[in-house]
Amino acid sequence: MNTRFRRIFAVFLVFLTVASPALAQERTAIKQGFELEANSNKKILVFRPTVSVGAQSTGGLFEPNAEWTNEAKKNIEQALAELQAGLGNQVVEAPEAYGDDAQNLQEHMALFAAVSDSVIKYQFFVGNRLPTKKRDNKDDVFEWSLGSGVANLPGASEADYGLFIYNKDAYGSTGRKLLQIAAMFGPGIAVQSGEHKGYAGLIDLKTGDLLWLNADGAMGGDVRKSDGAQKRVGQLLEEFPGSLQEEKEVK
Amino acid sequence: VKAIFCAGVGLLCSTFSPSPALATPAAAPPPYEGIYQPQGVDEIGLWREDDESERSLSNSPIVIRDEGLNTYLKGVLCEAVGFDRCGSARIYVIKEPTFNATMSPNGTMRVYSGMLLRMRSEAELAAILGHEFGHFENRHSLNQFKSHRSGTDLLSWAALLASMSPSYQSRSNFENLQISVYGNLYRYQRDQEREADLLGLGYLNSSKLRPQAASEVWQNLMKEIEASTSARGLKKPRFDRIAYTSSHPPQAERAGYLADLAIPEGATRDDGADRYRAEISKWIPEFLNDQILLNDFGASEYIINSLAETGWTADLWFARGELFRLRGNQRDYINASQFYREATILQSDMADAYRGLGLALMKTGERTDAQIALSKYLSLKPEATDAKMIGMMIPKEETE
Repeated sequence: MNTRFRRIFAVFLVFLTVASPALAQERTAIKQGFELEANSNKKILVFRPTVSVGAQSTGGLFEPNAEWTNEAKKNIEQALAELQAGLGNQVVEAPEAYGDDAQNLQEHMALFAAVSDSVIKYQFFVGNRLPTKKRDNKDDVFEWSLGSGVANLPGASEADYGLFIYNKDAYGSTGRKLLQIAAMFGPGIAVQSGEHKGYAGLIDLKTGDLLWLNADGAMGGDVRKSDGAQKRVGQLLEEFPGSLQEEKEVK
Repeated sequence: VKAIFCAGVGLLCSTFSPSPALATPAAAPPPYEGIYQPQGVDEIGLWREDDESERSLSNSPIVIRDEGLNTYLKGVLCEAVGFDRCGSARIYVIKEPTFNATMSPNGTMRVYSGMLLRMRSEAELAAILGHEFGHFENRHSLNQFKSHRSGTDLLSWAALLASMSPSYQSRSNFENLQISVYGNLYRYQRDQEREADLLGLGYLNSSKLRPQAASEVWQNLMKEIEASTSARGLKKPRFDRIAYTSSHPPQAERAGYLADLAIPEGATRDDGADRYRAEISKWIPEFLNDQILLNDFGASEYIINSLAETGWTADLWFARGELFRLRGNQRDYINASQFYREATILQSDMADAYRGLGLALMKTGERTDAQIALSKYLSLKPEATDAKMIGMMIPKEETE
């Protein structure tokens, strides 16, 4: 419970110091030398997407909303299949895992989250980048891997690539929006209302290498509606290998 | 000013005074209302998040998946809260040596292995499980979420107003308000713990187990904390003080009111100490090892000694040997060797005890005896992962 309190304090810190330059950052990277031609008809295994949708209270707390989350999950999965079909790839849902397989899968989901978190923190965005990763950025090197253990994941033998998706939306509540307006016209403080962030990553299911990762701290599109979800998935999969032409149409 | 703040914070501003409900035996729990499903957008949302988190927990490597242990714990929970209620909770044993158990909104109960190590009877275990179940039954996570939300909502507006009139007075008013709102959130959390204690004792009073055990849990914990602080040369802790950010009532207060809440007739009931020991004994070596690695000498020794109250076993002597050897002062090796020897007397094929004995003797310069003990270790456990390293400490002719 202590963490929850710390979070509140943190939220307040953000609120009071407010003019935080926002997380409006996005960045993509592709493993050097990796190319995926359009219409190459690859099979992409999609692991259970982590989707969480809710509201943001006046004080900035996340208020999970099950209905929105379920809608969003359905919409995102649908939009994803459509988008990949457009690229000439086939999307397969990862099968339900049991026993040791399920534990192995869970470990790899956690590993992917840790690796992509490291990429985002230490290679992508200004603030905390490691000197070695800055050098990598300069040399266009993007080298991360989950290890060849991914080949044993359920469903991996029948697919070429694995796709992981993380998406979190907090829509500003009425109270939060009123606060935002009042803060803008009153003391002139910029209060952020709503938070829409996510990342998606593609891995090679034979080697475990991270082939492509896209992280976006401020995305558009209302995931609770199917057309909004299409826009969102378009942004989440921005610069997806083989989609450079497609991308312009999505925008 | 305070009145205005209180009106804003609403319910949160009620000050706690020891409730008369905590001074008399706890009443039986309300009748079971059937399987509960979450209601309203907040609760359904919290449960959904929690369902996802339970899904990953169920496949997490920190969970101890032992059917026997889980069936036993589930049985004790059912014994404590009733066979109708207990179906709403799933127990996960987490390999984590601290004294804790948690309950989350959807009925996921996390039981830490460190808690199982410290319990002495089924009744003590039932008291903890009942308390956690009380959190579930009274929807504490949901209420806490709501109180956090209203508290932070209020503070946001107050911060806005304060920043519009940047005077010393408005700033100081805001800071006071902040302190009082956060203070009330913590107080609210402590009151929920008291409520869960009350409910937990309600279950225990109506069960077949001895309700007085609940208070003993906290008495033992206080002794352990004292042992821990005194081994580190710290001031004796105050168990009656509430810190501003305390999440729970102080141990002395809990031990006190839990004793009052137990029905006196229950004192003669069985507390299932033998059954508990029989179920848990095979886990003791592993749990003790995790505890020793916490590097809390006083607490670990207190736990080993209290486990030994019913008689020293080879496992306990061995754990004590490890505790001293891992602290690793020259004087500790002398004691450690003695404890390992006691272990080997009780169980002459305890390979790890010979290993510890050999390593401790090496340190005190008793090379010959050390080598005898180490070769005994290797002969008992030739496949040991450290066999090669240990082998290097033994002269060639002895390993052959």
